[in-house]
Amino acid sequence: MIKKLKSPYWPLHLMLLPGLLLVVIYSYGPLFGIIMAFQKFKPAKGFFDSPWAGFDNFQYVLDMPDSARILWNTVIIALFKIVAGFIVPIIVALLLNEVRKDVFKRGIQTMIYLPHFLSWIILGGILIDILSPSSGIVNQLLAWVGIEPIYFLGDNRWFRQVLVMSDVWKEFGFNTIVYLAALTSINPSLYEAAIVDGAGRWKQTWYVTLPGMMPIIVLTLTLSLGNVLNAGFDQVFNLYSPQVYETGDIIDTFVYRIGLIDAQYGVATAVGLFKSVVSFAFISISYYLAYRLANYRIF
Amino acid sequence: MVERLTTGRRVFVAVNYALLLFMSLLCLLPLIHVLSVSFSSSEAATAGLVKLWPVEFTASSYQFVLAKPAFLTSVGVTLQRVAIGVTVNMLLTILVAYPLSKEVTKFPYRTVYVWVFVITILFHGGLIPQYMIVKYTGIMDTIWALVLPSVVPVFNVVLLLNFFRGLPKELEEAAFIDGAGHWTTLWRVIVPLSAPALATITLFATVGHWNSWFDGLIFMNSPEHYPLQSYLQTVVINRDLSLVSSSDMKSLMEVSDRTAKAAQIFLGALPILLVYPFLQRFFMKGIVLGSVKE
Amino acid sequence: MKTASRRAWLTALLIMAIVFVSACSGGAGNGGEGATDPEPAAETNENAEETASTDSGTGEEPAAAGPLGKYDPPVEVTSVRIVNDTFKYAEGEDIDNNIWSRTIMDKLGIDIQYDWVVSGDGPGGQGEQKMNVSIASGDLPEIIPVSARQLKQLVEGDLLMDLTDIYEQYASPFTKEIMNQDGPNALASATFDGKLMAIPNTGSAMDGAFMVWVRTDWLKKLNLPEPQTMDDVLKISEAFTTQDPDGNGKADTIGLSLNKDLYGGYAGIDGFLNGFHAYPRQWVKDSSGKLVFGSIQPEMKVALAKLQELNKKGQIDREFGVKDQGKAAESAAAGKAGLHFGQMWNPLWPLVDNKRNDPNAEWQAYPLVSVDDKPAQSRVNLAVGTYYAVLKEAKHPEALLKIINLFVETGWGESTTPENYAEHFTKDGFEKHKYTPFQTWPARKNLDIHLHISEAMDSGDESKLNPEEQNNYAQIKDFLEGKAGSEIGWAYNRVFGKEGSFKTIDKYVDEGLILQNEFFGAPTDTMVEKDATLLKMELEVFSKIILGDPIDHFDKFVEDWKKLGGDDITEEVNEWYASK
Repeated sequence: MIKKLKSPYWPLHLMLLPGLLLVVIYSYGPLFGIIMAFQKFKPAKGFFDSPWAGFDNFQYVLDMPDSARILWNTVIIALFKIVAGFIVPIIVALLLNEVRKDVFKRGIQTMIYLPHFLSWIILGGILIDILSPSSGIVNQLLAWVGIEPIYFLGDNRWFRQVLVMSDVWKEFGFNTIVYLAALTSINPSLYEAAIVDGAGRWKQTWYVTLPGMMPIIVLTLTLSLGNVLNAGFDQVFNLYSPQVYETGDIIDTFVYRIGLIDAQYGVATAVGLFKSVVSFAFISISYYLAYRLANYRIF
Repeated sequence: MVERLTTGRRVFVAVNYALLLFMSLLCLLPLIHVLSVSFSSSEAATAGLVKLWPVEFTASSYQFVLAKPAFLTSVGVTLQRVAIGVTVNMLLTILVAYPLSKEVTKFPYRTVYVWVFVITILFHGGLIPQYMIVKYTGIMDTIWALVLPSVVPVFNVVLLLNFFRGLPKELEEAAFIDGAGHWTTLWRVIVPLSAPALATITLFATVGHWNSWFDGLIFMNSPEHYPLQSYLQTVVINRDLSLVSSSDMKSLMEVSDRTAKAAQIFLGALPILLVYPFLQRFFMKGIVLGSVKE
Repeated sequence: MKTASRRAWLTALLIMAIVFVSACSGGAGNGGEGATDPEPAAETNENAEETASTDSGTGEEPAAAGPLGKYDPPVEVTSVRIVNDTFKYAEGEDIDNNIWSRTIMDKLGIDIQYDWVVSGDGPGGQGEQKMNVSIASGDLPEIIPVSARQLKQLVEGDLLMDLTDIYEQYASPFTKEIMNQDGPNALASATFDGKLMAIPNTGSAMDGAFMVWVRTDWLKKLNLPEPQTMDDVLKISEAFTTQDPDGNGKADTIGLSLNKDLYGGYAGIDGFLNGFHAYPRQWVKDSSGKLVFGSIQPEMKVALAKLQELNKKGQIDREFGVKDQGKAAESAAAGKAGLHFGQMWNPLWPLVDNKRNDPNAEWQAYPLVSVDDKPAQSRVNLAVGTYYAVLKEAKHPEALLKIINLFVETGWGESTTPENYAEHFTKDGFEKHKYTPFQTWPARKNLDIHLHISEAMDSGDESKLNPEEQNNYAQIKDFLEGKAGSEIGWAYNRVFGKEGSFKTIDKYVDEGLILQNEFFGAPTDTMVEKDATLLKMELEVFSKIILGDPIDHFDKFVEDWKKLGGDDITEEVNEWYASK
């Protein structure tokens, strides 16, 4: 029996088998639900008896009066979050890397990862307080340097910036972890060699540290491109209000509304499918580009 | 290594320390606020008077929360979930990441496999079909309903395979020359060298299991089986005040219970906050590459 | 090395096998985790179904006769429960084992099995989602508690039993009386094509009426009259903004409290608009007898212009647009706001916290004020949160009505005693009535509490009070006697006491000032498709008008509303109305 399997690859196939099986059952199994995107899905009739709708669900979304606005808001918020949320953790990781005192380093690491564990319900309440134009600490500081109070959460010129900055604030510490791990796997002998070559701290960072982190940096950037249509439901939902719908209403809050008020599963699934296809395209393209241009497989 | 401290370096170090300190204070604020609310009187909290220090200090909300059987039960469920879930996650992550970390020349099928896994990050069938699969595989209302649907955390797999690829190839080759198979190489050579990466994804898997709440609400058939975050979700979410029914007048009083909610949030986050400092020792620099003896 | 690696592979396979076996067998093998109660519900379901079918196989015994007749031998009925965190149990009890499950078994011979119990009963909350997935995956119990929308889905899916005859035959006269206490709309809303498809859990529409809440200690301090007209209210709002009612020397008080969702039971604009005879999100009859949508009527425009004016004058919290009800309530609790439109329960939350922070604070509810000589009317929605529907295949549909009969009889029937009531409703501080799976509530219950307590306050005779009333009265007395920490008694006094908010509701009821939403059917087809868009548009336009957008945007909104589906909805609603 075993002789037949003497292909050099069989131990590798076998290692993959358990994970693969479970993924096929629990991740691929539910994919049949995608047919809802093409149905006028009626819960009580189920998948087999609901009437077909062709592309009506997609058409419905396109015909919405605000669909362009919602799509634009989503993309712009998501893109800024991707960029800021990508750069800040790398910088913080590099700064932490320069800290020699272990206790300090550990303390900082632990503290900056705390906000990740608080939900947007809680943080939303706190943000309303600290950003209040009348009594919030941020505006008091601004007044101190002579700037008029800004209504951050109620002003369409500021709302997106608040979303991006508060998201970075919540997540940068947690996202730093993966880069810290990447730092530890850089071979110390490379630094020694650099020092022998007379490289200072700057050059070491530039020629050793950053290249050593590069695979992980490229990977996280690529995967985060998959979020180009995820602007962060929980955050927006807890912070937005009718006066900033104009700049803050996103795909997910729209899906929430049609889901909550009307249980339109067909439309919700169609939107979800659209998001998946776009994310898939972005990730595939960046994977392909990295492969063609740098002959590097991201994953 | 001899550090020569130039003036520029000194300034940089000072600024760096100040900056990092400032950032961490910013991050500490919300937690301090939650903590202060939890130790304040409920009327002060409802009036929004609590900022960064308790108002009318009292620990009564902790007594209240810890006396609640539902809270403790849900902590038990979560611990069970984390123990089983993280173990299985880690095992499968390692087993999947290793073959996928091979070069195409060494394992031509890897690219196909990788995409099979990556696609699951992007495409979802939605809640209803997932519910049906969980039901048909007979794991509804068991701890496995919280473990199996997300049993291969693909992000972690991809991360780990990148770390595996970063390891010096010589060690692996040396192991093969010694006659070791893939299995032995993985567990004896690769895994021991990957402590920081494994610590990272252990942390991610633990945090993931600790924080997820929606699956608990949908796949568990009674509140006694809820994990902690699912339970908290039913407590912390504000009640809809436009629909107060005549049978529900008394529960209005609990809307004011911000302090108890804050206490539950804090107690719910505390254990997971303590995991990181514990795992930090694996992040220390200078894992000695030569430490593996074959 | 070879044997070593083979052993390793065996180990791997073994681990896989373990994972799979324990995964697939689910809880059947207990999982071995030492969980407290790992019996999987899926299995229980199957068993339950089997038992049920064998039951019917063994003999077609007639359903136990009469509204309160007992099944002998007992029968089993399956259902599901949506609970919330305020469900509290005595030691050793839970949702499956409590005073009600025992009484229902003893008196009616019915054993209720819950396929699942989920916590989270908000609209769109976990309970609704779990029910949605249950409906979609065909995983339904015999008796199903559903929302109006889900009821419509089930009716369309042709899954439900027609309950018309069963209701006639098994509902006790008292149950029937309660079903109609709030008008015929409750039952009508569960009737499709002349067939009763579910039993509504009736609540109380009058309890949802709006009123004006004012801090009367501030009125006295500033020498202002009690609000009788809209002008009075506007004067109060202005005075509370400009005359420093909290006396701290700072202009930090709010005239009129609002919340960012605009509508709602605390600090909403509904009551204010009603004073202008504008009825947002309600269907009202116009002069020609047709139903029209309240949000697009000209009265709305006038009222919104007034709110805009208040905002311009700085009488509305500048930041109301980002504050939900909980956040808006902080101002009242902190003693920075003294006027809002709300519902009868406001003293229980959040005003009681104002009282706790400031013992001198005093709040009083007044009837809605009108902008002209026509009295203001409060418009309310149908007070049915839940419908109990029965699957076609159910063996004992009448069990639903028997349990409801028992519930109302125990609560307010002629045969019940104070002890019996306490045992099943309020004893030991637990809200035991919540355990009952199927309930319906007398619409006048809370109003009666107010009338009885007022009477007892006058006569000093408490003997006529039922236990719930006694309990409330005792807390009120604690407060009146000045006991420390009795602020909750203050709140009850402000709700049920002689000068409580129910005095206002009593007046409304006497003078016919409460009107119900004329449309109470399930959402129409166009509503299902367009409501999300239309409601959001309304919220956005109205908020912005209040915050300063030109008032003419209202006319554009009316046009858009009609164009984007509103006209179709109006047509459908009128069809429904004609066919009613």
